[in-house]
Amino acid sequence: MRSTFFRILIIAVFIAALGLASIYSSTYQKEGPWQDLFGRQLIWLVIGLICFIFFCGFNYRRLWDFNYLIYGAALLTLFLVFILGITRLGAQRWLKFAGFNFQPSEFAKLAIIIFLARYFSRKSVNDTSLLSRKFGIFQGLILPFICVAVPMFLIIEQPDLGSGIMLLLVFIFLLYLTDVRLKYIWMLLGLLILPVPFFWHFLRDYQQQRLLVFLNPNIDPLGAGYTIIQSRIAIGSGGFWGRGWLSGSQSQLYFLPESHTDFIFATYSEQWGFFGSCLLILLYFFIVRQGYLIAQRTQDTFGRLLALGISLLLALQVFINIAMNMGLAPVVGLPLPLMSYGGSSVIVTFIALGILVSIDRNRNVF
Amino acid sequence: MDRKKILSFIIILMFGLLVFGLANLNLWQGKKFRKLSDSNCIRLIAQSGCRGNILDRSGQIIADNRISYDLMVLPQSSDEMERIFSGVSRILKLAVKDLKVEFKKNFVSVSLPVVLARNIELSKVVLLGEYKAEEPSIIIQAQPLRHYPYGALASHVLGYVNEIDRWRLTKLEDYGYKTKDIVGFGGVEEKYDYYLRQEEGGVSVEVNHRGKFTRVLGFESPQNGKDVELTLDLNIQKIADENLSGRKGCIVVMDPRNGQILALANYPNFNPAVFVNKRPALISGLFNNPDSPLINRAISSSYPPASIFKLVLASAALELKKVNTLTSFLCPGWTMIGARKFSCWDVHGAQNIQQAIAHSCDVFFYKTGLLIGAQNIHDYAWKLGLGRNLGFDLPYETSGFIPSPLWRKINKFQNWFDGDTANLSIGQGDCLVTPLQVAAMMSVFANRGFLPVPYIIKAVGGVDLTAKKTKLIPLNFKKNTLDIVCQGLRAVVSDSQGTGNALASLTVTVAGKTGTAQVSRGTTHAWFAGFFPYDKPQYVICVFLENGGPGHAASIIAKQVIETMFTQGLI
Repeated sequence: MRSTFFRILIIAVFIAALGLASIYSSTYQKEGPWQDLFGRQLIWLVIGLICFIFFCGFNYRRLWDFNYLIYGAALLTLFLVFILGITRLGAQRWLKFAGFNFQPSEFAKLAIIIFLARYFSRKSVNDTSLLSRKFGIFQGLILPFICVAVPMFLIIEQPDLGSGIMLLLVFIFLLYLTDVRLKYIWMLLGLLILPVPFFWHFLRDYQQQRLLVFLNPNIDPLGAGYTIIQSRIAIGSGGFWGRGWLSGSQSQLYFLPESHTDFIFATYSEQWGFFGSCLLILLYFFIVRQGYLIAQRTQDTFGRLLALGISLLLALQVFINIAMNMGLAPVVGLPLPLMSYGGSSVIVTFIALGILVSIDRNRNVF
Repeated sequence: MDRKKILSFIIILMFGLLVFGLANLNLWQGKKFRKLSDSNCIRLIAQSGCRGNILDRSGQIIADNRISYDLMVLPQSSDEMERIFSGVSRILKLAVKDLKVEFKKNFVSVSLPVVLARNIELSKVVLLGEYKAEEPSIIIQAQPLRHYPYGALASHVLGYVNEIDRWRLTKLEDYGYKTKDIVGFGGVEEKYDYYLRQEEGGVSVEVNHRGKFTRVLGFESPQNGKDVELTLDLNIQKIADENLSGRKGCIVVMDPRNGQILALANYPNFNPAVFVNKRPALISGLFNNPDSPLINRAISSSYPPASIFKLVLASAALELKKVNTLTSFLCPGWTMIGARKFSCWDVHGAQNIQQAIAHSCDVFFYKTGLLIGAQNIHDYAWKLGLGRNLGFDLPYETSGFIPSPLWRKINKFQNWFDGDTANLSIGQGDCLVTPLQVAAMMSVFANRGFLPVPYIIKAVGGVDLTAKKTKLIPLNFKKNTLDIVCQGLRAVVSDSQGTGNALASLTVTVAGKTGTAQVSRGTTHAWFAGFFPYDKPQYVICVFLENGGPGHAASIIAKQVIETMFTQGLI
């Protein structure tokens, strides 16, 4: 029990430290407000660690009780972003709160996982069997989908396609992990994939461009394809051992945009090479594996689903972000958990990890 | 629980895919991306050294370099460029529009600096230097440009410099020449380009994503080209150029003792500076001029030698003992050869060989020529350096031509007649020689029997080459032969009836021979070839005037040259 706590803590702190080093390397030469990014990230990490320790001690079953409150809060903040959010980089994603910019979509991801875990782990009053086994199409598919679709729509409208797709993927995987019938899942997938050509017209111009550029980055090398080309160059130029800390020309000479947020993996990889990148991917794998093992150990359905949801959230974010850095996935705004600069992401990730430890700690309580 | 296993499998697959993608970028394509990364942020700013100077025999500069300042800029994002354009236009007083046009014209790639303005005045360079402090992406480059302090002086010896052409590039690529290189065309500039050529150095700088300068990475200093020292004597060259001015033709002054060219003047000439300053109108004027000012007449075109050729006959006849000092022919003004009447330019009466040389009697040499035979004439002309390449060290030397019966038979399927021999005897017909060959031939008589191989390069990069040049070629003529011909040559000037009598009034004793070459169209070519001082020859001079009238005209020019040389104390 203790060992789970320390394992997750050590891995998380190690990844966060690598992230700090990369943020420092990509900003230390730049002037103006860039300079305090390192310090601010340090503060976020400290706050994140406090949250982590707090949630480790917090009985996750209480989340069951607060479930609707959390979901409601998530919806409310998303609405607030819609109304009074701060527009930055062309997207309205942030809420100003006590002097800090807060990104509700990060929080919403976790809230929806909690909500879904609770929804699918309700038990029959009569024989304490899982209700989800008996769900028909309405309860098993349509109702939860609406509950996910509302925040998802709000997030995609911000526009934040990455987080929106994230939610959808987590939903589909969780649906798969509960005992909902397979044919419902196939129906959902069919319903989602069929109208894709139709959805195309609902995408913003830049989103369309990014998808096109993903297919061929060279159609617009100085425009939409620029980031992906530069990021591939950054990763590729690292070689096996990398160019060494503070000697990555791509990230330090501004060639790589967003080198401290979404493209921090490229920054890191340029400096640490194949060796360092593999190490990082391995660390992420360990953390996801910890979540998976916790889920396997837990008897409680809610805890199990929650643990699986959190592991999935981490795994998918890591996968999509790194794949996008390497040009294997389209560019969508998605941070690399624990590495990327950004308070909301760091804190939410630490909270999620805290919940994991808490699940492991309390799994046999009742 | 089956579904969980599948999920864990999917997750492992995802991470595996990431590692695979990473290996693809880092390990398999790593080299390519490393290169791309470097070309992203490293810019090379070339800095050329000075082309080697061209000096005269005493080390005075004939062609050197002056510093011109160019303004270059590292290509950047458009708003940055906008700012630089306006800043530069304020300083240089040029319209922003023109600067943009220039930028577009010279733009090669994002990774190369672009020239915005050339040849900037020094006062503006200082202002730009101050501007550079706030805009480090502009580059003020000192560019050495070829400079000719004497303008068109000796232009045919020097040649000119210009951007390399396709033909030269394909030949010289393997020697490290690149497109847009400045190379020599014609003259010393071309022949010794490899030595004169500077080596480029440069600065490598790092730029950021907008092309903005961040820091200097390294510097490799450019290497200057080697100086080439010529055998030319700047003073004599000036005299030759001045006296020739306005007359189409050339003057060669040579040291008969070793074959060093002391002056080589051509007219019409050109100012090589027009190629440096890139004046398209003037350049195309040079190429289109019917008088072909770019041709080095002394070596690259050949003319009938006319009476100058009589020296070949005289030496051949004496060597072959066909005539001696007692032999004399009567010149009634004409003679019959076969059925054809060959006339002389005057009626000379009885002439011995010295008189015949002095008066340039055609009849004497018709008859002597017939005695010697055409093949012998050809062989002696060849011996004396006519009709063949002398191996001169400027490019585009032509060999000229001496006909012979054998050549006529093989190439034209025609027989050789006595009339042809007679024509050849007075240097007409198919016979063609270059002024340089005439000067070399005259040296044989000046130095008593040695054919020099003329050369003009004295030293390259401080290494004296004179010792390595081919030594004088002994012709093994009898002393008697040379004495008689030389006396004849002296008589040309000293005899009151001599064709070169115009030079008799000079303090310096000159010996020489005039020539008047008939051409198919237009005025005759005028020749004068001679040496001086007679007793101890130091100089051989050959004056050739294309369509310049009778030989007398050439002897007048020679007289002026020698006179000026004397008054300047050069003799």
